[in-house]
Amino acid sequence: MTSPLLTVSSLKTYFFTPRGLIKAIGGIDFTIAAGRTLALVGESGCGKSMTALSILRLVPEPGRIVDGKIFFADEDLLRLPTTEMRRIRGNQIGMIFQEPMTSLNPVFTVKRQIGEVLELHRGLHGLEQEEEAAALLHQVGIPDPRNRLASYPHQLSGGMRQRVMIAMALAGHPQLLIADEPTTALDVTIQAQILELLSELRRSRGMAMLLISHDLGVVAETADAVAIMYAGLIMEAADVEILFNDPRHPYTRGLLACIPRLGGERQRLVPIPGQVTDSMENSDGCPFASRCSEVMPQCRHHLPPLREVAPQHQVRCWKAL
Amino acid sequence: MNPLLSVQNLTKTFATSQGPLGGKEQRFRAVDNISFDLAAGETLGLVGESGCGKSTTGRLILRLLDADSGAVFFHGEDLVPMGKKALRPRRRQMQMIFQDPFSSLNPRCKIGDIVAEPLLIHGLATPATARGLVIELLATVGLNSDVLDRFPHEFSGGQRQRIGIARALALKPELIIADEPVSALDLSIQAQVINLLDDIQQQFGLTYLFISHDLSVVEHLCTRVAVMYLGRIVEIAPALELYRSPFHPYTEALLQAVPRPIPGRQHKRILLQGEIPSPLDPPPGCHFHPRCLYARPICRELSPVLSEHDPARFAACHFAGEFSRNHG
Repeated sequence: MTSPLLTVSSLKTYFFTPRGLIKAIGGIDFTIAAGRTLALVGESGCGKSMTALSILRLVPEPGRIVDGKIFFADEDLLRLPTTEMRRIRGNQIGMIFQEPMTSLNPVFTVKRQIGEVLELHRGLHGLEQEEEAAALLHQVGIPDPRNRLASYPHQLSGGMRQRVMIAMALAGHPQLLIADEPTTALDVTIQAQILELLSELRRSRGMAMLLISHDLGVVAETADAVAIMYAGLIMEAADVEILFNDPRHPYTRGLLACIPRLGGERQRLVPIPGQVTDSMENSDGCPFASRCSEVMPQCRHHLPPLREVAPQHQVRCWKAL
Repeated sequence: MNPLLSVQNLTKTFATSQGPLGGKEQRFRAVDNISFDLAAGETLGLVGESGCGKSTTGRLILRLLDADSGAVFFHGEDLVPMGKKALRPRRRQMQMIFQDPFSSLNPRCKIGDIVAEPLLIHGLATPATARGLVIELLATVGLNSDVLDRFPHEFSGGQRQRIGIARALALKPELIIADEPVSALDLSIQAQVINLLDDIQQQFGLTYLFISHDLSVVEHLCTRVAVMYLGRIVEIAPALELYRSPFHPYTEALLQAVPRPIPGRQHKRILLQGEIPSPLDPPPGCHFHPRCLYARPICRELSPVLSEHDPARFAACHFAGEFSRNHG
């Protein structure tokens, strides 16, 4: 087997706030092979977006990566000088975010914003740059791309803005695309179009993707593998079919049980009791213990390791061992 | 039996704001001649994509916005022409739950005061007697009395939504208009609030108008569903039947666009082409025709009216239910 495109090991990102230490990421490990899609799933504050920002080395103050390694194509990103990192960002690793309106600059035209990426990462200028920008817009399904180049972000709909974001992310021919909730702000019919576009681009370009999402439907239809995060830790990781058909962690089971399903029997939902505990309250036990229906005494004092319970299936739970 | 709420030919237009350089003011119809009934005790889902007019409809019913024309009968009385004074006692019977639990609670008020406020305004309690009622209301939504003296920022999204629900229940309303009440919540919390909405409906015999873009949540909670597109209702039907076999092509496309949590599901998906047209310049005839798979020449010319095709099943399509479908 060839080495994976991305290998994250023992990554820890902490926030040093005036109120105390917050372990946003408490030590996570995963890999993504070339051309594959891994989904990071979890609820707000579980550390999934911070994982993406850590990979890009864009963790905001007062956060800091305190430990771990991030190998991308055999280079440890955490040891690269800033200038090298800048070359990788946008070039080999593209990124798209949830809210395209806030990630596009409102005072510049689409042409100028895509042009900037093409100039920085591919050294294109003038007519050549414009041709390539129009070709990219065409690839992401924007009708009449030449005229659209002159548009400002506010003149585009949400779906079109997200397409422009994707075009910008693709401009440097990335091997890995990090997509943080790429369709959460979009309407469902537009979401379907964007998901279709992303999977088509991945096929045609052989691009790997790190998808960050809270939507289990989007994940099931898009990802090859899934990692479920809770309180800064991966609780369960498996190929997508295994995870949805044979979930082993009580949190994963809880998540799958608490969503209303289209066309399903109309039964009372089974919510997960309680709420995510403050990550300031650090205990040595499993962070899910206080909400877990299958909790055992040892769970409150000892954090279970993430262990392989079956091929391609890792679970962090004392019960699953 | 008379419906609790009857909305008839309700229309609301908005003007685009004039830019700093002048520019021509344009008007568009946010809600375009819509009608529906709501029986006591039922839950009607109002679904559609952003800008379809579903939230505006909710606000028009509560008179948070004034309609251009049409009528809103509540207990047989038209609310639209009523003055503020006449409206006040009716408002007690209709309450709203908002989407964003972070902006719908005053950050400077204590929880006890937030929930007590409607009781005091409507003279249902004095500051002395309110406390007991508030504690009771908080208990109904699953909160302890130790939250009384705390401020909204101390609570998570789910707890804030519970507080918003307690406030809405304070006046013992008959009708609750819930505008995306669980959209901002995390999955595990969303289920808790959905169950709470279910419980209080049973307990107090509430009638819900449930506005949402989430078709799975709507299917779970609603007895009937109305689908809106560009200000118009395109289909309205009992939930079970609408989900099983939609009559309007837009409903069909919406349902198929919802991603399902089933990996490897090989489903035939109708991928709607194009985007929702600008309401400033809606397409002629049927608003949906430029994106419709089944559009024929007549759809460009004649706007279909919402009519009953099967008992209790209304659709605004010239070919409602005719197009062949294989659902599953």
